[in-house]
Amino acid sequence: MIEILRAGVRTTIQDRGRIGYYHLGVPPSGAKDRTSYMLGNIILGNPDHFAALEMMIEGPIIEFKTETTAVITGAPVCATLNGDPLPNWEVFNVKKGDILSLDKITEGLFSYLCISGGFQVPEILGSKSTCLASGFSYISGRPLVAGDIIPIATPLPGANRLAGKVMIEDAIPKFNRSQTVHVVLGIHIDLISDEGLVSLLNNEWTITTKSSSTASRLQGGTIKYKDYDPPFGSGGMKGNVVDIPYPIGGVILPNEEEIIILLHDGTGGGGFVTIGTIIWQDISMLSQMRPLSTVKFRSVTIEEAMAIRKEYEKKINDVRTLLNQ
Amino acid sequence: MIFFSETSFHFCGDEYIYAEISREMTISSTLKALSITNELKKRNIPGIMEIYPNNTSYLVRYDPITISPYDLLNYLQDVDQMKNKLESLDIESRLIDIPILYDDELSRKISQQYADFHEQGDLTNFEFVMETCGFKTKKELIKKHSTPMYFVTAMGFKPGLAWSYPLVDSVADIIQVPKYKSPRPFTPVRSIGLGGAFSVIYPSNSSGSYQLIARSAVPIYDIHKRLPIFKNSFFLANPGDFWKYRPISLAEYKNIREQVRNGTYEFQTKHISFSAAKYDQFGQTYMNELLEGFI
Repeated sequence: MIEILRAGVRTTIQDRGRIGYYHLGVPPSGAKDRTSYMLGNIILGNPDHFAALEMMIEGPIIEFKTETTAVITGAPVCATLNGDPLPNWEVFNVKKGDILSLDKITEGLFSYLCISGGFQVPEILGSKSTCLASGFSYISGRPLVAGDIIPIATPLPGANRLAGKVMIEDAIPKFNRSQTVHVVLGIHIDLISDEGLVSLLNNEWTITTKSSSTASRLQGGTIKYKDYDPPFGSGGMKGNVVDIPYPIGGVILPNEEEIIILLHDGTGGGGFVTIGTIIWQDISMLSQMRPLSTVKFRSVTIEEAMAIRKEYEKKINDVRTLLNQ
Repeated sequence: MIFFSETSFHFCGDEYIYAEISREMTISSTLKALSITNELKKRNIPGIMEIYPNNTSYLVRYDPITISPYDLLNYLQDVDQMKNKLESLDIESRLIDIPILYDDELSRKISQQYADFHEQGDLTNFEFVMETCGFKTKKELIKKHSTPMYFVTAMGFKPGLAWSYPLVDSVADIIQVPKYKSPRPFTPVRSIGLGGAFSVIYPSNSSGSYQLIARSAVPIYDIHKRLPIFKNSFFLANPGDFWKYRPISLAEYKNIREQVRNGTYEFQTKHISFSAAKYDQFGQTYMNELLEGFI
């Protein structure tokens, strides 16, 4: 077990997210930065889907009630174990009574504490992920607070021998203030004017402070709609369509001055013009970007998107092989 | 006559395919989306992660490592072709009675509290709907809204929230209103909102942009499963359900609330075998037939 001594800004339990309930209005949730979370499980020899602790901006102070083996991944965070500095992305052992302090996140937004065997909270709708929008009971529906006690599994066989293992430098995500995201255009792209499309692809877009883990909101140019008659049932205003099932990563234009991109805490069902979808790995990258960071869009075909995805999967598998040698 | 033009398919990022049956709202598009997604669910295809029917479209999420997007697209196109016949759109479903209090005090209060978000001045949302749609009396609006059977066309936005669409003979009989200019930060649980041609019940406290005209006495989302109907699911709605909104008095509202709180309330439901062909031919007359003997 661990006990939360200080909660931090928003500390939750997350795994790979909820699958199969999106059509009922349930967000996938899960680790905002799937790559960092998954790499944490990989370096510990956990299955990829084991639950981890996710922290935002400033982490918690934790007391370990049992010994285990752990790693900190994700956005760089200042960490100490019983007062001694502790590096990120390196496996460490903890003893009963050890105090882990996770302070400010210096770049990016979300860091992860993964432990051998994973955190043992109840599953709701097939996932251990906390979902703040769903009203689930206890810590399945709220951020952790001081005094929360969370069961952890017995470490997997041989876990303590992993201490000192370091993540391959090349695999660690970069947390930059300016990034390029890859978008596959489609859905209602035909409702956007040619100048609008040029504006989308040529402008630099700034993430605004209205962003959250549900959606990233961007400004930085004007994307003109084409002249079109809003279809029957849409509400009749420009920018409105009959409500559609938004994909996670959907690039939504509620008006001509704003872009909304749905992140892992988003839900489907909305009636705004949607002009494309960013690729899966870029959703994690975007989730990590702080307000006032900038984004450029690169349009890719499905073939290019698949090539990027295959390269990503190969990289993850190479890391898995190298770390397990 | 029900006629489908070609469904247009779109790759969305590297994990989704979106299929648009039509851009305009028509109930035949919803029926086709349901029929295809039910078929897909039945087939249990490895690599498919989410199957999401919606008003006039559907969305499929897949794991691109297990299934190739091109193979999936071809596969979806084949299933789509199969579902162009009227008989393929029939559904087995249920009708649920939803007792609601129109023009309730809380909806009036919220309308006024968030006047800046809808820019309709002092009018409550209920009064705004009356004015926009030319209803002379409160009764007229209530009758228009509560007479048809509604079809649950899609879910989304919040866990358990369902869009419902009235089944009437002519679109002229559908109440259509604009949404708020900017989303209202707060909507009380069980509020009933009108937006575009759809009615929704808010399953929990949340933001929202539909015009609030009533409050449901019964919950539509219950993670504690306090009523028998929630025994197998947190969600009252399922796409493909039929709903009947029933106007009730304040006294009835309070009595039902009491029964919900002490766990004794029982939803009135009825099994429905819906024939798309009969609906296509007889419209509201057929719907009234299905309603016979209910409540």
